[in-house]
Amino acid sequence: MDNTIEVKGMRKVFGRKTAIEQVTFNVEKGEIFGLLGPSGSGKTTTIKILTGESTQTDGDVNVLGMDSTRFGSSDFKSKIGILSDNSALYERLTVHDNLKLFCKLYNAPLKEVDVILKEVNMEDERTTTISKLSKGMKQRVLLAKALIHKPKLVFLDEPTSALDPGNAAQIHRGLQKLNEAGTTIFITTHNMEEATELCDRVAFLNNGRLQELDSPGALRYKYSTHAFHVETFSGKRLVIDNEPENAGQIKELIENGEIKAINTDNPTLGQIFLKVTGKELVS
Amino acid sequence: MNVQRISAIFEKDMKDFMRNITMLMMPSISIILALVYNGMGIGGGEDEYLIFTIYVIVGVTFSAVTSVCMVTMMAEEKEKKTLRGLMLSPASFVDIITGKSLVTGLITFITLVISLLIIGFEPLLNVRAMLGLILMFLFFLMLGIGIGLFAKSVAAASAYSMPVMFLFGFTPMIELFGLGEDSIAIHIAGVFPIMQAVELHDTNSWLPLGIIAIWVIAAALFTYICFKKTRTDD
Repeated sequence: MDNTIEVKGMRKVFGRKTAIEQVTFNVEKGEIFGLLGPSGSGKTTTIKILTGESTQTDGDVNVLGMDSTRFGSSDFKSKIGILSDNSALYERLTVHDNLKLFCKLYNAPLKEVDVILKEVNMEDERTTTISKLSKGMKQRVLLAKALIHKPKLVFLDEPTSALDPGNAAQIHRGLQKLNEAGTTIFITTHNMEEATELCDRVAFLNNGRLQELDSPGALRYKYSTHAFHVETFSGKRLVIDNEPENAGQIKELIENGEIKAINTDNPTLGQIFLKVTGKELVS
Repeated sequence: MNVQRISAIFEKDMKDFMRNITMLMMPSISIILALVYNGMGIGGGEDEYLIFTIYVIVGVTFSAVTSVCMVTMMAEEKEKKTLRGLMLSPASFVDIITGKSLVTGLITFITLVISLLIIGFEPLLNVRAMLGLILMFLFFLMLGIGIGLFAKSVAAASAYSMPVMFLFGFTPMIELFGLGEDSIAIHIAGVFPIMQAVELHDTNSWLPLGIIAIWVIAAALFTYICFKKTRTDD
């Protein structure tokens, strides 16, 4: 499997503070990779190193087959798209003018402006000045700006944090469509549902250290107690371990028609994160 | 250097400039000053103070229009984080600076032409004076970019612009303070770009152009260092 991102022993130190400590991971070509962690865990620093906005103190970082010394090149920059806390728009210009500028900077056809505006559901606002848009609308234009040149790799730092559930869902569909077209997506989020729905694999970052890395399904299985949670019509709540000797007990409950609900223990990514790090994802 | 990227930045900055009231006001300073001097009877080609007045106008234009507009543009881009977007795009340092400089250059050129048409421009119609003007434009441009990048906010950039305007733009005015010719302030001011440009009219030497060129190199270095620092968060 080709790796779009290869990080080995990455370390980042700011003065006396170590922001990232010996982080190693790969992102495979065409996958959606999620980096989860609370504020201050090092997610944004990681994205900044991967996009060339910052340089690692130690370790090897390779993105799209280029090492970090080439992250300033036009070739590298034309292949990536970024939506981060450093992304911004020209407030006095219209939505169309903003996107037209980036179309030209990335040498993309100007017709892409209307295509991408439709994808982020902003086609009715093309002549609106940015300063008149809501925060959520601005976020959608920023996303359009990051995707307008059809990058091979997209970095999204909390892409739906300012959006309502409807718009977030629309963005998710757009990202999935983009991913199906072959774009690799690196996403950081606090939103566990978003990570579960979108990501092929997720990594947990805590205090600058990577603590888990796997698919959401595999992590949920790994941290599941594999027990059955049974609720009966008489109001009892039973936890039955998934062991052969308990099969009879479950069979009996079914035969007696006592089961109101039965679920397997399936922790959310947030619960797993709490278990692994002792911290909530959203403080 | 990429012409398409430069023209995209130029087009964007031109639109932005036309919607920025503060920047639109800057060219009026030197035009009004030229009208005031003209009203005082200075100009017309024969006046003994003509060269002095021309360089006051040139200094004010370069500092108030070239430098201050550039400072404002860069500081605003930096404060609102749009500069990072440009830096992360395939546009190079040269593309970004050239695109922005074309806007400032055009506004400076229009302002200077109008102001000099009012006050007189005959003494500038020679190769050395023209070269001096071009070098001074580059100096004030680089200084503006550097200060804009160095400042943390638009407000800080405006505060930094003031001493620059007075030191470099209004340098000829020091002669009106009645300081003696041996005054250290006069000697120091004498090596400033505008004073060297005035000096060009009193000598056949190319040394004043050399000194202005050194100022340009120093300002370019300052700008480059500030740009490198702005590009990353290290």
